[in-house]
Amino acid sequence: MNNLCADIGYRSINHYGEELCGDHVDVVEQDENSMVIVLADGLGSGVKASILSTLTSKIISTMMASGLSIEDCVETIAATLPICTSRGVAYSTFTIIRLVNNREAEIIQYDNPLLILLRDGENYDYPKTEMNIGGKKIYKSVIPLMEDDIFIAMSDGCPHAGIGTAYNFGWKRQDIIEYMKTFYYVGYTAKTLSSILLDEVDRLYGHKPGDDATVCTVRIRKRQPMNMLFGPPSNPDDCNKMMSLFFSKEGKHIICGGTTSSIAAKYLGKPIKPSLEFVDKEIPPIAELEGVDLVTEGVITVNKVVEYARDYLVDNKFYEKWSVGRDGASLICRLLFEEATDINFYVGRAVNPAHQNPDLPINFNIKMNLVTDLSDCLKKMGKRIKVSYF
Amino acid sequence: MKITVCIGSSCHLKGSRSVVEELQYLIAENNLNDKVELGGTFCMGKCQDGVCVTVDDKFFSVSPETTKEFFEKEVLAKV
Repeated sequence: MNNLCADIGYRSINHYGEELCGDHVDVVEQDENSMVIVLADGLGSGVKASILSTLTSKIISTMMASGLSIEDCVETIAATLPICTSRGVAYSTFTIIRLVNNREAEIIQYDNPLLILLRDGENYDYPKTEMNIGGKKIYKSVIPLMEDDIFIAMSDGCPHAGIGTAYNFGWKRQDIIEYMKTFYYVGYTAKTLSSILLDEVDRLYGHKPGDDATVCTVRIRKRQPMNMLFGPPSNPDDCNKMMSLFFSKEGKHIICGGTTSSIAAKYLGKPIKPSLEFVDKEIPPIAELEGVDLVTEGVITVNKVVEYARDYLVDNKFYEKWSVGRDGASLICRLLFEEATDINFYVGRAVNPAHQNPDLPINFNIKMNLVTDLSDCLKKMGKRIKVSYF
Repeated sequence: MKITVCIGSSCHLKGSRSVVEELQYLIAENNLNDKVELGGTFCMGKCQDGVCVTVDDKFFSVSPETTKEFFEKEVLAKV
């Protein structure tokens, strides 16, 4: 066991005018540290392509996760896929990334643009073995993982971007590598990296993509624990217990809520200094407390974080806001989405009498729902979550 | 003189941001920066009376509409 883990994020844009995407990404976890990621690109676009790629990725990921060989998978696909009447072939290209014990990556590629691996900020030219399975030329590589490796798999819609308009022959693989290298050290999440690449693809297509385009990024990183305190305990006698458990944990500490941070300040014996700078007109200012990495207001800020988290899982169109913003919600987002891999929530169930006012849009249930919603979203981002109530 | 404005959830929703910004403006306009200290605090436990403001530990309930009046009566007249 090492302490590496994988951050996986993908996004697609559809062929202009199509409602369905002909590319499909499927991720299957074998166990906590092993998983299979398949990016499949179905022939053509629209419904037919969507069916082909969904079948391909589902079949491969399920079979590989159950330990079957790549030969078996490819044969099954060849025998299963419906044959396109207009072209007489059943066809879907694919890239498989199989992470084994977070120790090595097995890469299997069939006809998609070659997977890019960035290591130490540079393009890493990994060795490939050519295999022939059922007349198909398939490349296989086994790469030992290193911290901060970034794998970028894509469908051919990406290098085809800009053909005939921006570039004569599309966006060359080498240029894509150069473009993505500039973001290597920033620490963006896999999802954000995928979005950055895809937004550029979309721009090169003049926002009218001539093909479905998909990017799937896998970032290998160290596990990073993070702790978040939200709300005072329902029994005031539990304050010290809650605080000592919270502060004894490894990793950064975030405190959300005015009353909660006052309790923490008392426990630490340090003054709390709220700032009066309204960086964002919607989000209340943050505060400073020695010994705590971030102190913010509670419900309003966390509500915004949940909003960003939901968007992150779908379109990720707000990353431009939270990835640079200086307001409390953006700061929490960067810590939770980008930095953390294992998050411990310490949630107090005290009812704030002042919030039980029908004129205010905050009440106890909303607060508890926020925690549930946020931890659900974070789980979907692939993070390990533990929630303790007090 | 120290003015403290609550920036907790409840007061935020009642407009503490406008109160703070208006006070910042009024203090600067009257050249009181070296006489009046403006600070923030989290919940004072009187959310029903928000926006909660204290002037040297004396409590006031202020709203964005009454900020100017509050400033003239409680701050300007007393410095």
